[in-house]
Amino acid sequence: MSGLFDIVGPVMVGPSSSHTAGAVRLAILARNIAQKPIQSVRFDLYNSFAKTYKGHGTDRGLLAGMMGFSVQDDRIRDAYSWAEKLHLEYEMLPIESSNHFSPNTVVFKMILEDGENLTVVGHSIGGGKVYVSKINDYNVSLKGEFPTLLLFYKDQPGMIWQASKVIAEKSINIASLTCTRRKRGIEAFMSIALDAPLPSGFLESFREAFRQIPDVYSVRAIDQLPL
Amino acid sequence: MSDFQSFDQLLTYCQERQNSIWQAALTQEVEDSGRTEEAILNGIHQLVAQMRATIESGIASDDPSMSGLSGGDAKRMMAFLQDSNCVLSPLNIRMMAYGLATLEENSRMRKIVACPTAGGSGSVPAVLIALEDEQKVSREKTVSGLITAGCIGEIVSKRMHLSGAAAGCQAEVGVASGMAAGAMVEMLGGSPQQVLHAAAISMQNLMGLVCDPVAGLVEVPCVVRNGLSGVQAAAAATMALAGVKSFIPIDEVVDAMAEIGKLMPRQLKESADGGLAQTPTARAFTNRFFQMSNKASNLY
Ligand code: SF4
Repeated sequence: MSGLFDIVGPVMVGPSSSHTAGAVRLAILARNIAQKPIQSVRFDLYNSFAKTYKGHGTDRGLLAGMMGFSVQDDRIRDAYSWAEKLHLEYEMLPIESSNHFSPNTVVFKMILEDGENLTVVGHSIGGGKVYVSKINDYNVSLKGEFPTLLLFYKDQPGMIWQASKVIAEKSINIASLTCTRRKRGIEAFMSIALDAPLPSGFLESFREAFRQIPDVYSVRAIDQLPL
Repeated sequence: MSDFQSFDQLLTYCQERQNSIWQAALTQEVEDSGRTEEAILNGIHQLVAQMRATIESGIASDDPSMSGLSGGDAKRMMAFLQDSNCVLSPLNIRMMAYGLATLEENSRMRKIVACPTAGGSGSVPAVLIALEDEQKVSREKTVSGLITAGCIGEIVSKRMHLSGAAAGCQAEVGVASGMAAGAMVEMLGGSPQQVLHAAAISMQNLMGLVCDPVAGLVEVPCVVRNGLSGVQAAAAATMALAGVKSFIPIDEVVDAMAEIGKLMPRQLKESADGGLAQTPTARAFTNRFFQMSNKASNLY
């Protein structure tokens, strides 16, 4: 997402950029992170999200995003009936306040098709801008501005080199790369943001290439959010 | 994101290259996004078209909002244009009607252009589209105005969060009025300095504005604030065009606004725990509203 259109725009269904559009975008991001069909989801709402989610259409926005609707999709207004039609299982849980979290925070507790549990902590910071600060136990900073690869691997020397080699071979520029180690010699985590726009199908091919690297446990290829 | 971290940098850049603000912003956008100038201008044209479409459906509609708290005022303002008691200029009346129309459409959960947010989305279209309709300003000028507005908002957003929850309504309607004032000066041929003075003057007047939406809905006071903020922006633009300057430079105005946002109590930052939201009338409505929405959670 570029600067100018970040401020003027998006074209969106009202009533609130942080509570409606932001909610849609966070849910899309959570859905992109899941990468598998979602069996059920619980939305834990914090602070202002907890207080005003009905009036601001946060509830509808979250459901809409979970179903893959964009911020300008007219179906947002009828998200409840669409959720029923599309058999989305959900629960909405307003949890009053927490100093821990920014004003508009939602924790997605998802159960995926194969039974995997996935927790994503998301924040809406105004004007439809969002970021994800946590995926399961990992602290991340994911804004959906860039196509991003998340690599979970065995902590050992040479992994950054191997990963960046794969990307360099495809002549794509890395916008940023961060590593976090969870347990020395056991498990670490790398987040690689790539320069957009990527040709379609590219993220998938990266995912395959990374799976070939020994000791990579899992890869998530997360698309950037649409404008 | 553009490289301009401050308005001071932006102004220096414009002066060195003899650019207007919109040209500088467009050049930056090309560099940062990797998109062509044509594609960007196209995108801006589409946003202007959506702004107009939102206004046109808004001034024609009697429909109440989803909550029933607003709706129909834009149409009322347009009708008042013919009234013998209408002493303000048609340009001003349209700015009010268009700002109201945009927010009313927003409350109906219809499409709007966030600018910079949904709650503040009325000011800029009100000024832009009213100038087109009453002053016959060309679409190209409108596009340059919208880019100018975007550039102002973008630099402000680097110094503070643009949300009622983070810094109060000054960060939404306040910033929008600054963007709209700058846009109007640009569209009427003012200098980059005048653009920034207009934005600074307009934002100063809405500094400290709290966010106190009734029942947490973006309706009261949001709709009427958007009905007035375009007119206020136009007044600030007119002051700047007449040569009035902001004594405090715009960067410092923004920093002061950010500081006020931090000092503002939580109750006045969108939580609906203070201000208008806690008046007896608002509380009575809120109780009714939540009873209703709990009964039929898919209705609201
Ligand atoms: S009062 Fe609050 S919700 Fe309403 S427009 Fe202002 S910032 Fe947005």
